[in-house]
Amino acid sequence: MRLLIPAMTKIRLILISLLLAVFALPAAASDAGTADSGSTKIDPKAIIFEHLGDGYGWEVPFDHHHRIPLPVIVYASDGFHCFSSSHITHGETYADGGCTFRIAPEDSKYKGKVVEIVDGEEVRPWDFSITKNVCALFITVLIVVGVFLWLAAFLRRHPYKAPRKGLGAVEACVTFVYDGVIKPILGPQAKRFAPYLLSVFFFILVMNLMGLIVIFPGGANLTGNIAVTLVLSICTFLVTNIFANRHYWKEIFWPDVPLWLKFPIPIMPVIEIFGMFTKPAALTVRLFANMMGGHMIVITLTLLIFIFSAIAPVAGGAATVVSLIFSIFMLLIDTLVSFIQAYVFTMLSAIFIGMAQEQPHEAHGHETAAEIGKQIEETLV
Amino acid sequence: MELFTPDFGLIFWMFIAFGILFLILWRFAWPMILKSVDQRADLIDKGVEYAQAAQEQLANARRDAENYISEARREQAQILRDADKMKTQIVEQARVAAQAEAQKVMDNARLQIQQQQKEAEQQFRNRVSDFALQIAGRIVQNQMKQDKAQQQLVDSMLDEIEKNN
Repeated sequence: MRLLIPAMTKIRLILISLLLAVFALPAAASDAGTADSGSTKIDPKAIIFEHLGDGYGWEVPFDHHHRIPLPVIVYASDGFHCFSSSHITHGETYADGGCTFRIAPEDSKYKGKVVEIVDGEEVRPWDFSITKNVCALFITVLIVVGVFLWLAAFLRRHPYKAPRKGLGAVEACVTFVYDGVIKPILGPQAKRFAPYLLSVFFFILVMNLMGLIVIFPGGANLTGNIAVTLVLSICTFLVTNIFANRHYWKEIFWPDVPLWLKFPIPIMPVIEIFGMFTKPAALTVRLFANMMGGHMIVITLTLLIFIFSAIAPVAGGAATVVSLIFSIFMLLIDTLVSFIQAYVFTMLSAIFIGMAQEQPHEAHGHETAAEIGKQIEETLV
Repeated sequence: MELFTPDFGLIFWMFIAFGILFLILWRFAWPMILKSVDQRADLIDKGVEYAQAAQEQLANARRDAENYISEARREQAQILRDADKMKTQIVEQARVAAQAEAQKVMDNARLQIQQQQKEAEQQFRNRVSDFALQIAGRIVQNQMKQDKAQQQLVDSMLDEIEKNN
């Protein structure tokens, strides 16, 4: 009974805030609608892709005009240029040294990117800018490195003592991945690849969770950006192939299939080589699509409020309740998905690495040779 | 579409950021964390084993202790019984010894008394014979003052002797 009372007050609190939202939000939305109705209509597609995409500044909550300026670093026609993004946020041109830059307008093929204007033409320079995504990337790296150095320091200071509270949770996640994924899949090789796999897991997990936080330190759609997932799967690809054993390469170039499948026309080797690249490609797309999908659904649900308010305020009220509940539900699901996707990526990476470490099942002479090779490899690593 | 065409800048920074993250964690964090996690797991396993062994030992020890205690109780009872027996024995012996002693003392005393009695009787007799002799002497002196009487006595004695022979 005593436990029920706080739960009841919480539920009441949620209901009250929902009701407030019902009355307040559509009003605000319709206000915004009437204020801007003449000039702009809500363009859901633009809003969604603006939120999912990258940017040269970081949005500030409740303020559409100002952005946190971030450095723009470009290698233009006459060398490197570095300037604050505040100079070009609203489509102005900015002259830095001998070059002029601006963010390409809507109709350009470089829409939303920094371009250099050379003789009236837009030229895309090499862009090393610390964009919103890059900045979020650095924050993620700082968080992950900080947390694990902290954990390592704790364990160095208190050997044989289990950390409690936050660090305990972090350590529980480490053992979850290490004992639950890496050890069963890689067996005796677990210790060798655990640093890479654990780094990947926590990097993805923190990026995913940071993406769910709507305001400043979070909010960047990092793992829903194909560049990020591409780099991660390239890393898995490199680890898989660099540390692969002889058996793996033999299976690719001379698999155990009838001769006609591999000799005059190398059908199987071609398929196997193709398979080498489809695996990381699948990794890339899986993480990217899952995370982007989650973000997109939440944004769309939120946009429904504005779309319905534009039609009729009453419909807006109803839509607010529905989409708020659905948004909360989706965000909770996304929290779970964040974990699951990080887990899946780590598990598949471990499986790909493990497949490249597999020993042939028959032929003992070969096995010993492979083992020696493996030992040499290990001493080299 | 920006989302599907990877951005060069982001790829570049992603490689650097992930590389730095991996190198730092690979060098400074993971070995320590994995080592302590494994070590702790081993320690816990060993601890459980040790605790089980200890519990077994404790049970053994408890059983042993109970055995010892009951043994001791039995011995205590035995000792008490022995002591009781010995006590009665000692008391008995003492009584016997005392009786014997007392007997001896009594015998001694009786002997002494008898001796002294005898001595006293002897002395008494000596005295009495002394007195008798003195008295007889006096009587004889008195009676032998007259010759006639002396003669008479000799005669009677001689008569007696004659009669006897």
